[in-house]
Amino acid sequence: MTILEVRNLSKVYPNGTQALKSVTFSVEKGEFLAVIGLSGSGKSTLLRCINRLIEPTSGTILFEGQDVTHIKGEELRRYRQKIGMIFQQFNLIGRYSVLHNVLMGSLGSIRTIDSLLGRFPASLRQLALQNLEIVGIADKAHVRADSLSGGQQQRVAIARALMQEPLMLLADEPVASLDPATSHSVMRYLGYINREIGTTIICNLHFLSLVREYATRVIALKEGEVVFEGAPTDITEEWFRHIYGDEAVEVEIQ
Amino acid sequence: MCGIPMSSIKARAAQFAIDWLAGTYLVAMLHRILWAEVIMGVPIPFAWGGPESASLIEGVPDWLLYLTVGSVIAAFASVTKASLALVVQGKLPHSSWQRTVALHQGALLVSLTFITGWVVTKISLVDMFSGERLQAAGRIFSSMLQPECSILPQALNAIVETVYLAFMATVLAVPASFVLSFLSARNLMKSKFWTRAVYLSLRTLTNFTRSIEPLVWAVIFTVWVKVGPFPGMLALMVHTISSLTKQYSEQIEDIDPGPLEAIASTGARQLQIVWFGVVPQVFIPFLSFTIYRWDINVRMATVIGLVGGGGIGTMLNQYQMLAQWHEVGLIVLVIAGVVWVMDYVSARIREALV
Ligand SMILES: Nc1ncnc2c1ncn2[C@@H]1O[C@H](COP(=O)(O)OP(=O)(O)OP(=O)(O)O)[C@@H](O)[C@H]1O
Ligand SMILES: [Mg+2]
Repeated sequence: MTILEVRNLSKVYPNGTQALKSVTFSVEKGEFLAVIGLSGSGKSTLLRCINRLIEPTSGTILFEGQDVTHIKGEELRRYRQKIGMIFQQFNLIGRYSVLHNVLMGSLGSIRTIDSLLGRFPASLRQLALQNLEIVGIADKAHVRADSLSGGQQQRVAIARALMQEPLMLLADEPVASLDPATSHSVMRYLGYINREIGTTIICNLHFLSLVREYATRVIALKEGEVVFEGAPTDITEEWFRHIYGDEAVEVEIQ
Repeated sequence: MCGIPMSSIKARAAQFAIDWLAGTYLVAMLHRILWAEVIMGVPIPFAWGGPESASLIEGVPDWLLYLTVGSVIAAFASVTKASLALVVQGKLPHSSWQRTVALHQGALLVSLTFITGWVVTKISLVDMFSGERLQAAGRIFSSMLQPECSILPQALNAIVETVYLAFMATVLAVPASFVLSFLSARNLMKSKFWTRAVYLSLRTLTNFTRSIEPLVWAVIFTVWVKVGPFPGMLALMVHTISSLTKQYSEQIEDIDPGPLEAIASTGARQLQIVWFGVVPQVFIPFLSFTIYRWDINVRMATVIGLVGGGGIGTMLNQYQMLAQWHEVGLIVLVIAGVVWVMDYVSARIREALV
């Protein structure tokens, strides 16, 4: 069953940069889709268009069959609640505790006044602890978020996204600022969420070795266009040079 | 294909305008100050309409003449590239004659400005160091160095009024500045047309109110609500609102947009996005600015009394009018002490915050 369908999506930034050119693809429920491509090929732009952090210039985005390209206000909020997002820079609130950060994922589902006064229902606190359990750092619930290592912070960010009980998770280079070992640990949590919870995942990645290990399908962007679509094993030497340019040499991440 | 690009025309126009202004200024100062006042000793009024006879060319206003010569200089600069504007922008090669000419022009401009300043402020060493003047100085210093301590209780009362005046002005300004700063932060307001309109009008308003000094506000408010600490507090409050709004909003514009984006992506409401995405990042700097502002307000509150804004300044004003310099001396000591303590305490608190 198709969860997301992107048709002819284009994005031109106000300064004239065309970041996406008529991108078309669809994602099945339960897939782990990797998006690859050179720096500047439009990967981040694509993910941000999907949850409408930036406005697409033209094209259509269908989520569970509903056209979400132009929804606004309350409708857009409800849509975003169904989609978690994690970022390369983790984007936690450093001064807050880990638990408080995870609770930020449930802001959309409680009254504004309660959230401003810090009144999160006990059931949500319970859920937050469970989600921290899933990413293996429940013991850090009460320390300040900025005292954690990068890998731990990214796991907190994953727990925050899980608070939304999302149908789909967007991950924008989630391991690009982590060392190889930590990268694998974070990727394994994403893999676990994908397989065990059944969350659909779209993940921008730099390393093909990670793509081969965790993704079920790949699309490659080049200068804003989809130039490859297929299984991770289909990326041959030739495709690799086409996507990354002739100079490129594949690096392994152990 | 379409000739010279627009940006280059703009740059040329800006360059011409700068050279024109500089040239006009140079000619005007050469004539009015260096020639008329310094060399000939016949001052011409600075602005429009000197005596008819002083006009360089009969029937033609001097300023028109200056502008004309200025435009000739600018045209020369534009053609030969011996331009002050280009030198300032660092666009002239190092050993070119154009650069040398422009640099000399710049040096002349700076020296003329200094001479003008000297003439205009009527700086006079005679007025400061002649025997009679030195005696006057001795009188006031010796009186002030023997402060009249009997008015100490009265002075302490007045300075307490001043400190609280500054405190209330700060405290009442903080909530207003807090709200206004979000509405005048570019990064939060640029998205929609109407939010950008709010941003622009607020920016204009606070820039305008901030450009009016608290002393002037005090004059306005003493007319409005009569003399006393209340108008002084209002004056400081208005100025504090516009200053803090600026400082706060600049801090908001400096935040890391990451957490903001992350919270927006969870489907949070607008108010939640701002509250959790922005406030934790700016809280400590806001606190620090606020304490510093209270410190500044205490200083300002001491002088605001001079125009009827209450507190120690009003008292100082009274004794100064009566030429009771011993009393003035004591008041100055009390002000210095309190300002020093405030300065020290505020610095220590702000250090502890970061
Ligand atoms: N806010 C913006 N305004 C203007 N141009 C932008 C903006 N954001 C991105 N771009 C441009 O759009 C193109 C695609 O950028 P994008 O960030 O989507 O690429 P990316 O594939 O995520 O690259 P990276 O691997 O470096 O993160 C680039 O040319 C970039 O310079
Ligand atoms: Mg990117």
